[in-house]
Amino acid sequence: MELTPIQKDALQEMGNIGAAHAATALSTMLMTSIEMNVPEIFVVDISKVHEFISDDRAAMVLFQVSGDISHGGFLLLHVPIPSAIRLVNVMLGQTDMDREMSEMDQSALIEIGNIMVSAFLDGTAGLLDTVMLPSPPDLVIDMPHAALEVIIATQLAEGVNEVVLFRTELTSNEHSIESNIILLPNPPMLNDIIRMLENVLSVA
Amino acid sequence: MILTAKAPAIQETPPSEGVTFIGIGEFMVSTLPLSSIGLGSCIGLILHDEGRKMGGLAHIMLPDSQGRTDRPGKYADTALVALLEGMGCHGTTRGRIVAKLAGGASMFAHFSENFSIGDKNLQAVRILLQERSIPIVAEDVGGKVGRTIVYYPGSNGRITIRRGDGSCGEI
Repeated sequence: MELTPIQKDALQEMGNIGAAHAATALSTMLMTSIEMNVPEIFVVDISKVHEFISDDRAAMVLFQVSGDISHGGFLLLHVPIPSAIRLVNVMLGQTDMDREMSEMDQSALIEIGNIMVSAFLDGTAGLLDTVMLPSPPDLVIDMPHAALEVIIATQLAEGVNEVVLFRTELTSNEHSIESNIILLPNPPMLNDIIRMLENVLSVA
Repeated sequence: MILTAKAPAIQETPPSEGVTFIGIGEFMVSTLPLSSIGLGSCIGLILHDEGRKMGGLAHIMLPDSQGRTDRPGKYADTALVALLEGMGCHGTTRGRIVAKLAGGASMFAHFSENFSIGDKNLQAVRILLQERSIPIVAEDVGGKVGRTIVYYPGSNGRITIRRGDGSCGEI
């Protein structure tokens, strides 16, 4: 799949707006400043996905995206385990770092994921003038590459060998928390987004 | 909120000495170690020939090629043929070759009805191996965990496994 420079710019701007909304939500929850990098868009061959997504255990809160847009895209919050524990500690006013993820941690993470992903989708849907809704969340604490494989295998028509991947890094330096918001649109959803962005650009 | 632009931080897999990484849909036959990281619903199919201390690994994503030939490693049916050809086996394997399997997990609790792909992959690989009378001598499959595997053709076809729940194993 080839994206033109204009399409890439427009998609990046959309990711920027979504991620800024998610960053504001996280910033409000933690009452601290959040740094955000410029969203990256990768068109990755399936055989190279492992160069972009590691097998280091992490907490991932996953959502399927629906609404007035082709279904089947995924949005997920990815937090490495040490960051996930620090994140929950800051949220719940705890200090114990040296522990496994408890049930309480898991509910807190799901809630954080819910709030951030809803903010992301509100931001992007507002720009595109459409409605995008998250499914109920699923929390997976495992290898990110393994979780993405499942999504890729279900999303791609058998003949497709490329994945489009948006990633924005959100970090809190104060609490040394790293997180990533990753959007995996399937081809129909990506086509819808590009069409909607072109409408927005032509009106402006 | 402070917004700062930072250089992209790509999470690279740390390079391991002498190990070749087999990505999704790829396969290779070798006498040297082969690895696939983060197998989820995909299957790591290993065919091992102990007599020649060599073998192959395919990182299978889907059960059926439906006639596609562009990525033999991606589908169970074409991957098995490609591995056998790579190992110089045309026709019968005469019991020289054994199979090992890893992966085929169901990672998600809630999206489960849409994600039985791991089971379908496993089923397809098992049937194909049976058709060619290639025995499965070891496997670490199913469940909910991701798996990273390293296959050592020169060391009795040993496979080390690191799982997404933090545990390790060997088959």
